[in-house]
Amino acid sequence: MNISIEKKEFSEAVHKVARFSEKRAGTLPALSTILILAGDDGIKMRATNLETGIDLRVDGKVFSHGAVALPATTLQQIAGSLAGEGDLSLEHAGDLVTLTSGGGKSTIKTVPYDDFPLIPLPESATNTFTIAGTLIKGLFSSVAACASASTVRPELASICLQVEGGMLTVVATDSFRLAEKKAPLNKKGLQGTLLIPAKNALDIAQVLPDDEIEVAFDEHQCAFSTPTSVVVSRLTNASYPDYRQIIPRDHAVEAVVLKKDLETALRRTTVFSDTFQKVSLSIDPKKNTISLFAKNTDVGEAVERLSAKIHGDALTLSFNHRFLSAAFNLTSSESIVLQAVRIGRPLIVRGVGDNSMLYLISPMNQ
Amino acid sequence: MDKGNPRELWEYILTQVELSISPANFNTWFTNSFIVKIADDGVVYIGVPSQFFKDWYLKKFHTLLLKIVRDVSYEFRNIEYLIVKDERRKPAKEARPAARGALELPLNDYYINKSDNLNPRYTFDTFVVGSFNSLAYSAAQVAIERPGITYNPLFIYGDTGRGKTHLVQAIGNQYKKQYPGRKVFYLTSEKFVVDYTDSVQGGTANRFKDKYRQYDLLIMDDVQFLSKKDKTQEELFHLFNTLHDTNKQIVFSSDRAPVAIPDIAERLKGRFASGMAVDISEPDPESRMVIVRKKAASHGVMLSDDVVEYISTTLSGSIRELEGMVNNIVCHAQVKGQAPDLLEVRQSLRSFTRPQKNISVKNVVDRVAEFYGISEDSIYEKTRRREVVRPRQVIMYLLREDFRISYPSIGAKLGGRDHTTVIHSCEKIKGELVVDSTLAKELQSIRSLLV
Repeated sequence: MNISIEKKEFSEAVHKVARFSEKRAGTLPALSTILILAGDDGIKMRATNLETGIDLRVDGKVFSHGAVALPATTLQQIAGSLAGEGDLSLEHAGDLVTLTSGGGKSTIKTVPYDDFPLIPLPESATNTFTIAGTLIKGLFSSVAACASASTVRPELASICLQVEGGMLTVVATDSFRLAEKKAPLNKKGLQGTLLIPAKNALDIAQVLPDDEIEVAFDEHQCAFSTPTSVVVSRLTNASYPDYRQIIPRDHAVEAVVLKKDLETALRRTTVFSDTFQKVSLSIDPKKNTISLFAKNTDVGEAVERLSAKIHGDALTLSFNHRFLSAAFNLTSSESIVLQAVRIGRPLIVRGVGDNSMLYLISPMNQ
Repeated sequence: MDKGNPRELWEYILTQVELSISPANFNTWFTNSFIVKIADDGVVYIGVPSQFFKDWYLKKFHTLLLKIVRDVSYEFRNIEYLIVKDERRKPAKEARPAARGALELPLNDYYINKSDNLNPRYTFDTFVVGSFNSLAYSAAQVAIERPGITYNPLFIYGDTGRGKTHLVQAIGNQYKKQYPGRKVFYLTSEKFVVDYTDSVQGGTANRFKDKYRQYDLLIMDDVQFLSKKDKTQEELFHLFNTLHDTNKQIVFSSDRAPVAIPDIAERLKGRFASGMAVDISEPDPESRMVIVRKKAASHGVMLSDDVVEYISTTLSGSIRELEGMVNNIVCHAQVKGQAPDLLEVRQSLRSFTRPQKNISVKNVVDRVAEFYGISEDSIYEKTRRREVVRPRQVIMYLLREDFRISYPSIGAKLGGRDHTTVIHSCEKIKGELVVDSTLAKELQSIRSLLV
């Protein structure tokens, strides 16, 4: 194999692909490599950790065909150190690959690629829809943080994508809070639910381009394809709870508040939160204020009061402050609406004028 | 090695595979797989975590694995690979993340599939088949094998808590698995009524009709609640005809036989009974024991034989109540950290036993004698006539089990008998209860007389 790739193109591609290689030690050596293929259809880089996989086409010149697997970490380090313009050439001979760029030359030992797994694509081609890359990246990266970090319940460690009636709904919950975001699709009539492990979703969001993306899925796999790349992930094979039933339908009090105000007030209060990370939120309809209160017997205490527009009854609820602050990343609206039912029931957070987002936080014991 | 045991077979395969491939390969590809089942036709099903594994097994390891299982026995015809549900794999041991203090959202209650309403927990794997429901079970199997043709409609009836809902939902879940792409819908008749009235109010009756006609398998639970709802019955009648004419399978359940449902149109009754109507009868003691054991095992608690026997024979009631009792015991066991013994079970199940009045021995004797149609004096006498001995043993058993009177005092009160006689009688009845369902019924009737 003998190929040459523009330096910038090479390092971008390596950074994208290396994300999908296996980082744990003790597994199959081929899994911690990037497979570089040169053929009639150009240059391709592949990596997989058996959860997710990527096949990326890279622009470059092919002088002779071939395939070679190189350790992903080594390539990453090389890619990180490349500077300036110009091409990088890769030449494969024996069990060595020679990289030449300008005056520099390095040789890397190859890894046998017989063990490099196949990257499976969904079998049925009918379950597909297209969506803008920017949109799906935003959905994944904002919602996936709310999925459970523990893998004891695999469905909660996943984000749930529901395609129904021309809408894509993305949900994640760790059973203490729940985030839901919606985006319109231009394809109506398709129905389906897919659970993507949250960890994988975050990786996928990092590498998808901003352009139109075709999403295909079947029972076990999903694939995100663009003309130059395919990213696949296994799907969690479990059923997702019917979370809509826990969303309170009515509320006793509603408060509208500037997001920035609440965010800074919360940050100041958090300093005094206790080991339970508890912050109390009181809604006072008489004075039209929301106040945040935290107390730590070792540190001290703090109250932050901010004005808000309030309808309904007075109510005080306590929350884990990490869960409260997670709401701010979910919407771009300037103001947010807080809706509460009563003590012991979850609080709903929405963006004003933003119907696409819903965030639910379970309170703490008082 | 027991070659019929999936676990042992898998252990053997692993030891063989380990010898022929590199450790890295072995760790990557084999640590998360296991044998799901060995089918009767000699196909070994291996469960793997994802499509990556399935493709790779087929490409790289299929011949190797096949050779290994063939060496064990020629009965193994083939190997197939299944991608298994995440929850069936070994759960990673992990401490709960520290979100201390926060209340959990009640997500656990809502694991229901929206598009078909089926609860995935109800499957045939968890369904206990005994003589009391084997007919219904096999009818269900036939209905799944040849949907819409053999038994259409399938009408399952039986008293509350006999497992009707479990069975009909299991049919739905199995059907879904066997015929992916076909549409299943489960609903209760009450939901059907509400849906119908809503559609009439909203002026969308046509959409209502279309909605239900698209299903390949329609399961309607508790149809007895349709009584007196004439319009809904008419709608169901038309729906039934449409589905039946197009050979779509319909499954009904009810708490009584089709003919016995009051206030329901004759033409609908006839149609209910036109396919196959099977009843689920009272579970026999063995089945109850299996149910108790299975239920406890699903919670990870192993109960000793005498405990299982105690729960399933002493306490009457539906399977649902039985499950409640097991849950109770499991909870106690989890608090204490060990499986409870008979004494503790008795303690913890006190609330489940029938309300007890302080009843006199004489009262029990009177009632039992009356039940068996003998004079109460003969109970106290030293006679050994058959028709007296049995009731006398029943009395002793009841006094012991239900009223916790000591063996010696039972003996003393029943005409000065030795306590060993009483022990023998109690054991005898207890033993016969397991095999003799008429005796169980008699005891139940007597107990209801005593309350």
